[in-house]
Amino acid sequence: MRLVRSLLFVAASFVALSSARAQDVIKIGADLPMSGPNAEYGELFGAAANLAVEHANADKMLSKKLVIQFEDSQATPQQGVVAMNKLVSVEKVPFVLSAFTGVSKAIAPVGDRAKVVSVNGGGIGPDLAELGEYFWNVIPLVNLEIRVMAPYLVQERGFKRIALIYVDDPAGEAINKELAENVPKAGGQLVAQLQIPRNAQQFTSIAARVRGANPDLVFIASFGAQQAQIVKQLRDNGVSQQLAGYSVFSSPTVTELPEAKGALFPTQSVDWSAPGMSQRVAKDWKAKTGKDPSFFVANYYNAVMVFVTLAQALEKSGQPITGENLLKQRKATGTFDLVGGKMEFLPNGSVSMPIQINEVDGGAGKVVKAGTMAK
Amino acid sequence: MLFLQLVINGLQLGAIYALTAVGFSLIFGATKVFHVAHGAAFTIAAYLFWWIFTVLHIAWPVAVLAAVVASVVFGLAMERFIYRPIQRHEGAFFTVFIAAFGVQIIIQNLTGSVFGRGFASVTTSLSHSVEVLPGLFVAPIAWISLLIALVVFTALSLYLSRTHTGMAMRALSENPDLIRVFGLDPGRVAQCAFGIGSAMVVPGAILTSMTAGLNPAIGAHVMLISLAATIVGGIGSLRGAACGGFLLGLAENLALWRLDPQWSEAVTFVVLFLFIIFRPSGFFGRPQAAK
Amino acid sequence: METYIINLLVLISINAILAVTLNFILGYAGIFSIAHALFFGVGAYAATFAAMKLGLDFTGATAFGMLLAALISLALALPALRVRGEYFVAASLGLQMLAITVFTEWKSVTGGIGGLTNIPPARIFGFTLTQPEHYLVLSLACLLAIILIIRALVRSSFGRSLKALRDDEAAASAFGKNVSVIKTSAVVLSSALAAVAGSLYASYLSFINVESFVLETSIQLMAMVIIGGTATLFGPVVGAVLIILLPAGLSYIPHLPATEIGSIQQIIYGLAMVLLMIFRPGGLWGFQENPKAHA
Repeated sequence: MRLVRSLLFVAASFVALSSARAQDVIKIGADLPMSGPNAEYGELFGAAANLAVEHANADKMLSKKLVIQFEDSQATPQQGVVAMNKLVSVEKVPFVLSAFTGVSKAIAPVGDRAKVVSVNGGGIGPDLAELGEYFWNVIPLVNLEIRVMAPYLVQERGFKRIALIYVDDPAGEAINKELAENVPKAGGQLVAQLQIPRNAQQFTSIAARVRGANPDLVFIASFGAQQAQIVKQLRDNGVSQQLAGYSVFSSPTVTELPEAKGALFPTQSVDWSAPGMSQRVAKDWKAKTGKDPSFFVANYYNAVMVFVTLAQALEKSGQPITGENLLKQRKATGTFDLVGGKMEFLPNGSVSMPIQINEVDGGAGKVVKAGTMAK
Repeated sequence: MLFLQLVINGLQLGAIYALTAVGFSLIFGATKVFHVAHGAAFTIAAYLFWWIFTVLHIAWPVAVLAAVVASVVFGLAMERFIYRPIQRHEGAFFTVFIAAFGVQIIIQNLTGSVFGRGFASVTTSLSHSVEVLPGLFVAPIAWISLLIALVVFTALSLYLSRTHTGMAMRALSENPDLIRVFGLDPGRVAQCAFGIGSAMVVPGAILTSMTAGLNPAIGAHVMLISLAATIVGGIGSLRGAACGGFLLGLAENLALWRLDPQWSEAVTFVVLFLFIIFRPSGFFGRPQAAK
Repeated sequence: METYIINLLVLISINAILAVTLNFILGYAGIFSIAHALFFGVGAYAATFAAMKLGLDFTGATAFGMLLAALISLALALPALRVRGEYFVAASLGLQMLAITVFTEWKSVTGGIGGLTNIPPARIFGFTLTQPEHYLVLSLACLLAIILIIRALVRSSFGRSLKALRDDEAAASAFGKNVSVIKTSAVVLSSALAAVAGSLYASYLSFINVESFVLETSIQLMAMVIIGGTATLFGPVVGAVLIILLPAGLSYIPHLPATEIGSIQQIIYGLAMVLLMIFRPGGLWGFQENPKAHA
């Protein structure tokens, strides 16, 4: 009986939705993990994108109200594709926010075929730069981060012996490769390269292996709850050396962890005190969440703003807002004014941005080295 | 020294695995329910403890008590409202499995919605290790884990050998027909098994919140390990499940002695697979696995 | 809209193939495997390898995948011959977890978590499938063929032996049935047919990685069989339709807080599994009392 009732409810919702479908909005999509172990990220990315929508609507930047249609990718390729297909062929959005390498790679062909732009603001594997014209990245990919980070750690801070713990996904592997190349180049040595599976939770014995390698610094290349687990368990188990990570270290899960205090991590350079857009986002984000914004907030905010900027230009020239036109318009646009300053797309659809080095200080991080471009 | 360190780490983790596995095994032995929502009880207990102790700043005995009550209530509710109605219709093993798995999904997502989807851990000086020998680091919590395991197992074996219900439970896991000989109500025995078995996740849950930390998906891993340890130890044998838990904890850590870390989970399941092929009755089980 | 529905139908057909083949050992032979996603994965990886490295067309690549899945399934048949019930569940669990590690670590073949991209579209008898509709036709044809094969098998003397074995192994062997041969062939057959789904999936999505072949997939497939009804021909298909459509349907419920959508969907999904098991334990399709009361 209850099943029948809930089925009726679902059916009724279908009808309600299709009749209420409004033509007076501009809709973009978001294919983010809203459930499962990575839902934390979907929540954060979604909130940042929503803030951008609020701002765009408050400022009446587009002729109609902008809304985001959220779909759950569960951070898995199959669910991601189902969600993407819905966004593309039912909701008919021209522009989709994406996250996670596996999902991004699975949805890129769907977007390519339908000429719908997908934008990644979270995944940093270098393989994300090769997913076709309709797949863009508004986040500098990890090879750029490491090329700034490695010389800083070895030459400016004097950490000669570096131990690496990396998760066995494309981002982790890319970091391993980049460190193996750039640490010796800077005059240091990679003394341990420990690969871990993504679902590992126990790192007590990894800590023992790290201690055995006797490093000056431990570099952690993982994400989500796992990186917090690694930090905590290293500190609990006699690893007192300096810690470092890559840009996902800026997620609150890590920065709020007492054990992570003092850890170094690179991010794209965002000056939140810059007047105008950056300051406004920082202020409103703080008012909403009580926290300082991380650079993920900047990226998903920027992803939406890239759309708004392009759509604005298209509306001005009287062209329809389609994925094809967005791509054409992006190629015609030189730089974008976004949070963190000006941004320019490389021909492969990814961006190059100055990279800064931060230190975990219990808040959103303290900048210890101002933004520099990767060589 | 690395070897010794890995052994100690393995025992510490093994204690947590053993406690959860024995709870699972107790429930299975007495009721023949494959309680895969056992991991959900673990999640509930761990998050409740974390929330009361770390977020509300209430004294730890209160938090422990709340965790025990919550996991017992969960276990009893599962038995009363899920398993019993299913078994009344039809006892198919996999029907129960799917229903329990559904509960696991519900609890995992509720936990994420209520307590947040990030990483949660209880900060305590107990998890900070000290160098006891050059290069050998042991946290106070390692000794505490082993001590708790010892106390809980002693208490359980006293209960099972001294009380009427306890003996019935033990007899049940060996021969389901014996229940009538004891003249006990099978429903009551089942309730006891679910209550005690679920309460046994609490020490492991609390210790995990202090050492490895929590995320809403943690229950799935606990369920896998409990299941594997129960099989390795021999279904129905509590002693076996405890040893199975310790063995898996040791195997996971000792794998690091010679292998790269990415293989350590595989080692756990190779152990499981080999046991099933070559010693399906487990450590102490009777050589009668096929039924 | 059409593309969206066709996409769902293709995914349903692929999952239905998996559910139907799983039901063959689960429902008819009483072998409770939670390693079915392993053979789905082997089929997908092997077919991709055959298509990309050996240049085989869809039939060749699929046959290659089936062959490999059949060989690997012998590792699953081994415990199936020795133990039953909970032990076999655990053995298949062990295999599934091992497979995940291998899929993740054997990067030269599987691409690890990064997976394999740009998988060529299926080519069959010189015709290249480019549109979703083409895949719908192909996957429905495969599904139909597999249902027919299984129907024929179930009604043959082999099928009767299987059911005899499921209901009472001792009696079956007393009647002179060769238990090992029957069980092994059932497992091998079911795994080989599951590989067809893998081949379809890889060429349709043109991207695969380990995340599609994990334990959750195996359990979801099992849920399809049980929810639909074990030991029925169409039950697993019904189960596949329901499980694929449920989250898709739920995503249409309006007015959910954006960041809670996923959790609420998952909770409803979990609740549906629980309620169905309590009120329709025989499955949606299984109207008759299920003959096997315990396992």
